[in-house]
Amino acid sequence: MGVGHRLRAWANHVAVFLIATMFVCFLLQIVFRYFFNQPLGWTEEVTILCWLWVVLWGAAFVVRDEEEIRFDIVYGAVSARTRRVFNIITSVALIALLAVSLPATVKYVLFMKREHSAYLRIPFVYLYSIYVIFAVACIIRQARILWRALRGTTPTDSALVSEPSASTGGGAL
Amino acid sequence: MPSSFTLCILVLVALAALGLPIGLSMIGASIFYLLVAGLDLGTAAEQLLNGLFNSYVLLAVPLFILAADLMNMGSLTDRLLKFCLVLVGRFRGGLGHVNVVANVIFAGMSGSAIADAVGIGKVIIGMMTRDGKYPVAYAGAITASAAIIGPIIPPSIPMVVYALVSDASIGFLFLAGVVPGLLLGVIFMVTNTIIARHRNYPVEPPVPLKEIPRVAMTAFPALLLPIILLVGIYGGVMTPTEAAAVAAAYALLATTLIYRSLSLKQFYEVLLSSAKSTTSVGMLIGGALVFNYVVTIENIPTSVQSFIGGFHLTQVAFLLLVNAILLVLGCLLEGTTILLVIVPILIPTAKLLGVDMVHFGVVVVLNVMIGLLTPPFGLLLFVVANMTKQPLIAVVRESAPFILAAVLILLLVTFVPDIPLWLPRLAGYKG
Repeated sequence: MGVGHRLRAWANHVAVFLIATMFVCFLLQIVFRYFFNQPLGWTEEVTILCWLWVVLWGAAFVVRDEEEIRFDIVYGAVSARTRRVFNIITSVALIALLAVSLPATVKYVLFMKREHSAYLRIPFVYLYSIYVIFAVACIIRQARILWRALRGTTPTDSALVSEPSASTGGGAL
Repeated sequence: MPSSFTLCILVLVALAALGLPIGLSMIGASIFYLLVAGLDLGTAAEQLLNGLFNSYVLLAVPLFILAADLMNMGSLTDRLLKFCLVLVGRFRGGLGHVNVVANVIFAGMSGSAIADAVGIGKVIIGMMTRDGKYPVAYAGAITASAAIIGPIIPPSIPMVVYALVSDASIGFLFLAGVVPGLLLGVIFMVTNTIIARHRNYPVEPPVPLKEIPRVAMTAFPALLLPIILLVGIYGGVMTPTEAAAVAAAYALLATTLIYRSLSLKQFYEVLLSSAKSTTSVGMLIGGALVFNYVVTIENIPTSVQSFIGGFHLTQVAFLLLVNAILLVLGCLLEGTTILLVIVPILIPTAKLLGVDMVHFGVVVVLNVMIGLLTPPFGLLLFVVANMTKQPLIAVVRESAPFILAAVLILLLVTFVPDIPLWLPRLAGYKG
């Protein structure tokens, strides 16, 4: 197994751990309140934390480019060559916008070190640091898309986007 | 010089049209707006983080996804279909009826139309097309159409999302979906009967009466879950959000203990796929939170309110206008985006005209569900076309009568608020 594979597997484990934790905390919360008449405060906070992290962690490291929800009426209809041009435009734009906002983003997250979560007293700077991780990962991923498009391959060539299933994309509604 | 907001919209449309994922497009366009308007660029992160952190109701979304994935993994669906076959298989177009009835029952434990179409469709499409009983495109079309009942009958992921943007009570919203959802089931069965008579679709051999208790027993665990959820939520044991966790736990118990059909590896895969769906939806929600901040500081909802207010519309005329707008947008946009970006713009006007927020929610969610069936961008169409390996256009053609039937129910619900509101009022809703 290559390094890339192992990293991806590791990232998947983290996402699975977060979802499983969320699930278990919810059950604890119901059982303790209903059967032991003893509401737990911390479970609510842990579930929220897991939710925030699973969304941004997943967006950074787990969900593949071809699994994202996109508007594919135009993108899906054009030739692979045109799609590469599209990829170049959107990746350059997004890299620029995320990079420009990165210093202010870091500043905001650091600013939150003064505030603590209600039950577990965790400084928000740790909870919210996932956004900075997400933004940097996003820049790197877009750079890779840009690099591939310039070299003549598109990430979505093999699996075109019009194949959402319960496990991907628009699986929520 | 166009305003910052106009530029922001242009960037959003351009990024999304060129194929950037929608959530990222909204985040990118919002950062662009902050840049042009000279505002703090950290605001994007602030809105997204605080928004996701403070919307507790949204936790129902990942858990309902998990519950649906677990049910589809185990053999709950198979047993449920066998039970429905005993009930309605003997009528003309029997397997079509089985499809609809299974979706109605499944709707009582699942909140996602896509998950229902995949889970039930995987089995029923095979049953319907074996030996060429039904045309493949018809099997796909009725599967996709019946799946929209899922989020109308509670629980419902889109209603949770609507509750977030409207502050309407999830409990009452859920109840308000029951009657419209059952009506959808009835009208789809009528449509299936008409088509089946016309095309002479087969009936299934009637199952002997003495078989019925045995089949009902094997399906019993699946049939029990909707009741547990209903009693749990309205008996005050759990919140609708917690009900999602209970549904997932129940599905897990049923598949492992009773049906013994889930390995550890499969369970890991289910958790992973739920995490992925959660991420995709969460990114859409996060992007919409940031973009809605821009929309709010630009006072767009108020402008829309005074613009529409200028026409002095009645409630019904306004709702019809909303239907028209949402049905057209439903052909082009993904449903969560409509619920999170378009609907908040319309809500102040609806409130001003005195439209009941629970009634409005059912109308909006029905529109979004029909949007899943309308080309060119209808997610359910993609799902079943992909499952059946049929061209999209064939599925669209066969879906047309069902879409029309669903629009009829939408109009009925639009004109007669008592249909959705009857049940919530029985439960004490003052609206």
